[in-house]
Parts: sequence; C-alpha cells; structure tokens
Amino acid sequence: MAVDQHLAASRGSVATPRHRSGRRHRAAGLTRRALTYLVIVVLAVFCVVPFAWVLLGSVDSKAGLYLRAPHLTLHNFLRFFDQPTTPRLLVNSLVLSGGGTVVALFLSMFGGYALSRYRFFGRRTLMFAILLVRVVPPTATIVPLYIIMIDIHLNNTYVGVILVEAAYQIPLLLWLMKGFFDSIPVGLEEAAWIDGCSRVSGVLHVVFPLSRPGIGAGALFAFVNIWGDFLTPLVLLQSPDRYPISIGLFQAFSAFNQVDWGLLTATAVLYMVPTVLLYLFARRYLLQATVTGAIKG
Amino acid sequence: MVAALLGPALVLVAAFVVAPVGYALWLSLTNKTLTGFGAQTPKFVGLANYRQLLTSGDFGHSLRLTAEFIVFSAILGQFLLGLLAALLLTQTGIRLKGVFGGAILLPMVVPEVVASLAWASMLAPGTLGTLNRGFATVGVDPVSWLQRYPMAAIIIVNTWRGIAFAMIMFQAAIEGISREVLEAARIDGAGVWQVLRHVTLPLIRGPVFLFLLLTTITTSSVFGLVYFLTQGGPGQQTQVTSIYIYQHSFRFFQLGLGSAASVILLGIVLVLGVTYVRLARVEV
Repeated sequence: MAVDQHLAASRGSVATPRHRSGRRHRAAGLTRRALTYLVIVVLAVFCVVPFAWVLLGSVDSKAGLYLRAPHLTLHNFLRFFDQPTTPRLLVNSLVLSGGGTVVALFLSMFGGYALSRYRFFGRRTLMFAILLVRVVPPTATIVPLYIIMIDIHLNNTYVGVILVEAAYQIPLLLWLMKGFFDSIPVGLEEAAWIDGCSRVSGVLHVVFPLSRPGIGAGALFAFVNIWGDFLTPLVLLQSPDRYPISIGLFQAFSAFNQVDWGLLTATAVLYMVPTVLLYLFARRYLLQATVTGAIKG
Repeated sequence: MVAALLGPALVLVAAFVVAPVGYALWLSLTNKTLTGFGAQTPKFVGLANYRQLLTSGDFGHSLRLTAEFIVFSAILGQFLLGLLAALLLTQTGIRLKGVFGGAILLPMVVPEVVASLAWASMLAPGTLGTLNRGFATVGVDPVSWLQRYPMAAIIIVNTWRGIAFAMIMFQAAIEGISREVLEAARIDGAGVWQVLRHVTLPLIRGPVFLFLLLTTITTSSVFGLVYFLTQGGPGQQTQVTSIYIYQHSFRFFQLGLGSAASVILLGIVLVLGVTYVRLARVEV
C-alpha cells in the first residue's frame, strides 16, 4: 500500500525539468545500455579467457605452455586412452566419485526422511549441528584424519576415500533431502498406508519417486564436488594406480623437466567436460525440483 | 526407527569429520611425527606446539597471508564483481543473459585443479604469457607474475573463481526485491548510484552478510587452487595457513605441530560458522 501511494505521488510530479527533455533522456538510456553490455562482456571474457589455452592446447599437435593457434589434431585425446597410466586415472575418478555419491545419497535419503517426518528430542539442535559441521574445513581435519585412516587400515584404499568423501557430502545432502521430503504432503503417504502399504514401502514407492528431481539434483551436486576434490586423495592415497585425475594432473604438471602439454590439456578437458555438462543439466533439474507441479498435475 | 534411519549417516559424519576435530585437539598437545620416535610413541608435550607456532613467526606470517587472501579475493574481489554481475544481469531488457551468466559460472563449475592449470598459461612469464601479451598492447614489460607478485596472482585467480557464487546469491536476492520499490525510487529521480546505495543494498543486506561469512569460511581453507600454482612459494610468499598445515604435516612430518595449526584454523572458522548458523535463521 505504502508503495502504491508512493508511486501515485511520484506520478503526479512527473513534469520535473529532468524529464522534460525526452531526447536527452533517451540518449542517456542508450549510453547506459551500451555501458551495461560493455561491462558484462568484459566480465564474461575475463571468466572465459583462461580456458582458451586449455581447449586449444588439447587439439594442438605441438601444444606448449603458451596460447597459440593450434595445429589441429585429436591425437592428444587418443593418446590419453592409449597411454598405460592415464585411462586408469579416469577409472579411479569414476570409482571414487561414483562410490562416494552412492554412499552419501543412500544414507542421506533415509536420514533426510527421518529428519522430515519424525519429531524427536534434540532434532532442532541436530539440524543446526549438521549445518555447523558443513563449515568444518577439510584442511583443518586432514592431519588427524590421515592418522585415523592408518589406524583403521583404510589408508591408501578406495573404500577409505569413498567413505571420507561421502561423509563430507552428507551434511548438505541431509538438509537438501529433508527439504524435498518436507514438500511432499504426508497425506500422500497416508493414502498409501490405507491402501495397505507398510511405512517402508510407502517411503520407497511414494516419497522417493516423488522426490526424484530433488534426489537427482543432490546426486549430481555430490558427484561434482567429489569429482573435483584434490586434497583428500592427495593425502589419503599413495599408490599412483589409485590416483584420480586431479592428482594425475597435478603430478604431470609438476614434472618440471618434461611436461607433455598436449596430453595434459587433453586430460584437463576430459576432466572438466563432465562437470560442465552435469552443471548445465542440474541447473534445469533444480528448477523442476518443486514437487508441487507433480501434486497439482 | 529414527536411529535406524539417521544413524548410519551420522556415524559416518562423526567418524570422519567430528572425530578428527577431537583428535586434532589431542594431537596438538603431543610431539607426534610421521617417522622416527614420535611416530610410534608420541609424548604429551602440553602447549609446546602452540608456543612454537606463536613464537616462530612462520605461522603468524601464514595467518597474515590468509587474512590478506580473504580480504582482497573474497571480501573485495568476489563481492564487488559478483554484485556488479548480479546488478547487470537483473536489469530488464538485457539480451543473452543465459550466455553471460553461463560464462561467469564456468570458473566455479570446473574442478579446482583445472582452474589453476588454466591460469598457469595466463600467468606464464616472458613475452608469450597470455597476461603479458595483453599488457604488452598497453606498453607494459613482461612480468613473471608467480615470481614477482605471487600473492596478487593467487588473489586474482581466487577472485575469478568465486565471482559466480556471489553473483548467484545476489541475483536471487535482487530478484526478490519488488520491482515497484525500485521503480518508485527511479521515478522520484534517484540515479543509478542512489538506487543502489539507498534501496537495493539495504534490501539485500541479509544475503550480503551471509555471503561474506560463507566466502570467508571457504576462502580460509582454499588449498588446491594455491598449492597447484605455487606450492606456497616462492619461499613462503604464498604459504597461507592451509598450505602451512599441509607442508608441516606431510613434508616435514611434524603432525603435532600441524595439528596445533589446524586447531587454530578450526577455532577461527568455527566462530564464524556459529555466527553463520545463527544468522542463517533457516527453518528447521
């Protein structure tokens, strides 16, 4: 209301000197528009330009450290799959990210359901504690974590890294899942119970299917996070045959004497493409996450 | 029922996130090392590690670098450029918003190792480095960025990577402001700057503050982005606290000392974290 009155009042005083000269006004608007585009283009270029060398190097038969017009070839990508060590990096990354995502998602779906549907003592405190755990920086726990992993014989194993990565993703996923389940009316579940479903099969056949977009978004998010992680595998894995791409890239880059830039940039491209694609995909997905459409339809 | 559903998730978090916090406290009071005598039978040494940290100067230096890193890359760089991007992309009648938004999103989306690698060529020394070539057009002599200005270099890289997160936060907040309010201000004759200063910014104060807290927390533990490019060097010029912890623990094998440094970093982050949790005022 206050805003409406305000608007009406200002409309009454439109004929101020400022607005009398229409042409000058339009010129000012044009200048502003041009300036807007100029600044946004500069920002976008700043964000994209560093990738030019990575992309061009990956298709350059004589790639170096410097940006240049490439001698076009796909040889670098072929070499990635031909070399004895590099395909292994890709497999390891897939195993670690896939495993971590599955574990985190599975546990968070059931945990999130409990947080959403049950009112138990200490639930509020627990929710805030989970939120607080999210801010614990991995750099500050990596040293004791390393010793713990040695003590429980999970150092330098896939299982160890998968469990740790899952543990890092669970706090956020619990919150996400709880939110998605909250938006599914309990009435739908109760209808299933009346039809003879048990509580568990009600969850499996009503709640989880209805939250599929949300669960999918959560899964992609966790996958991208684990896929890009550098510190955890750097500390918890020592055998090169278990390294994910992040560590492989770092090692290849740090080999001071002989860096194979073509192979390195091709690896980087293969490494970044899934996250870029998944991200585009997840952005659309997240918009669908509102289950209201499913209920109304 | 609740225990069965929620238990496994909480056990995992307790084992690999919470327990290490407690274990760090204990280790920081011992002379635990990775090799030699301290590896098998670490001795309780009280606050000796903390005393060493606070008197050696190296650790204080790393904290100062971390503060510098946070202030310039997160609080100034990401905030200002992210706000600028959000303001421009929420204007009406701008074409190709999706393309511009996507371009700005790219640095955040790629793995941190790829982000660093991309800047290796940008910052490369000599006349052929991408940045040097750009500066050559305005008559600036080539610079070995990572040698001469290593802190500035990693600050720019981290700013670049974080613009998108700020932009997303602010875009959502600005879109939440009623159009009428902005229009009313404009009809009253307020200029762009006045609208921003007196209408937009006060109305998105909450999200701005949350962003500043969150980005401070995450920037305080940035590791891969810096380690990939400089490994803390040259000398100790980019040895921010996260790199200090890594190098003392895994290069010099002083796990006790590394743990003490971890505890101090944790203490700082948790104070910020509690503030964040209280301010987020999320519905539970």
